Amino acid sequence: MLASAIPTLVFYLLAAISLTLAWSVVTGRRILRAAVSLMGVLAASAGLYLLLDSPFLAGVQVLVYVGGIVVLLVFAVMLTRTTELLEDHPTRGRQIIGGAVATGFFLLSYNMMTADAFVGRTLSPLPKNDVAAIGRALLDTGENGYALPFEVVSLLLLAAMIGGIVIARKPAAAAKPEAFHG
Amino acid sequence: MADFLTAHAPTLTHWLVLTSALFSIGLYGMLTRRNAVGVLMSLELCLNAAAVNFVLFNRYLAPTAQGGAERLDGAVMTIFVIAVAAAEVVVGMAIFVAMYAERRTVDVTRLDALKD
Repeated sequence: MLASAIPTLVFYLLAAISLTLAWSVVTGRRILRAAVSLMGVLAASAGLYLLLDSPFLAGVQVLVYVGGIVVLLVFAVMLTRTTELLEDHPTRGRQIIGGAVATGFFLLSYNMMTADAFVGRTLSPLPKNDVAAIGRALLDTGENGYALPFEVVSLLLLAAMIGGIVIARKPAAAAKPEAFHG
Repeated sequence: MADFLTAHAPTLTHWLVLTSALFSIGLYGMLTRRNAVGVLMSLELCLNAAAVNFVLFNRYLAPTAQGGAERLDGAVMTIFVIAVAAAEVVVGMAIFVAMYAERRTVDVTRLDALKD
């Protein structure tokens, strides 16, 4: 009895935490505080992965998202700090458009979520050692394998790394464009 | 209390409502934020919600479609989504830093160099 009650409680707790923090990510005045809230949302998502019996994905989530991406975003905030954007107020018109689009999307997808295909489904069992199974799937060159996408992603990461360095580094002194104070 | 919770265990629809609510909040942020880094953060919310959805569909729907064979395609896709999100943040941050060096602002409402 208690064993099935606890995951339910944890689900609703994590849902409440991630929705509250997600709202503060998009509406928080201070952008640095929004980054901390984003960290909380992503950590709560790691908890959701644990609830779905995917501890490996939870670990990847914490390592890459919470440990890597959020730190990068914090650096981006600190390197591009402007006084005019310290208080990030959207105009009323943008709020209305954004709210309409987001609500419209939610209602549209809610309409599909209640379709028959999604009702009455239960959790399926996972393969015994799912980390090994994920590893085999990533390197499988067969019909259902992911060897090619895996290589493409490694190429993408390399390209992103080189591109990041090239874009962000200071231009050579001779080719330096006039700074535009707009 | 325990009886109530057991009777209200989350179904697939509950999960989907949660993830699409997270996605919608991210969408709202993308359209309202003025700081470019804030737009990127809202985008991360969307990507994260989609990544959770991949695992959900894997656990609830895909195995029966495969004739009972247990597969992990959703988990593999989630790893790809996380990798692509990482690459995207790297490039985004580089662009923002270069933009800031050039124009001293990351306000998306004032970045209109491609407009005219």
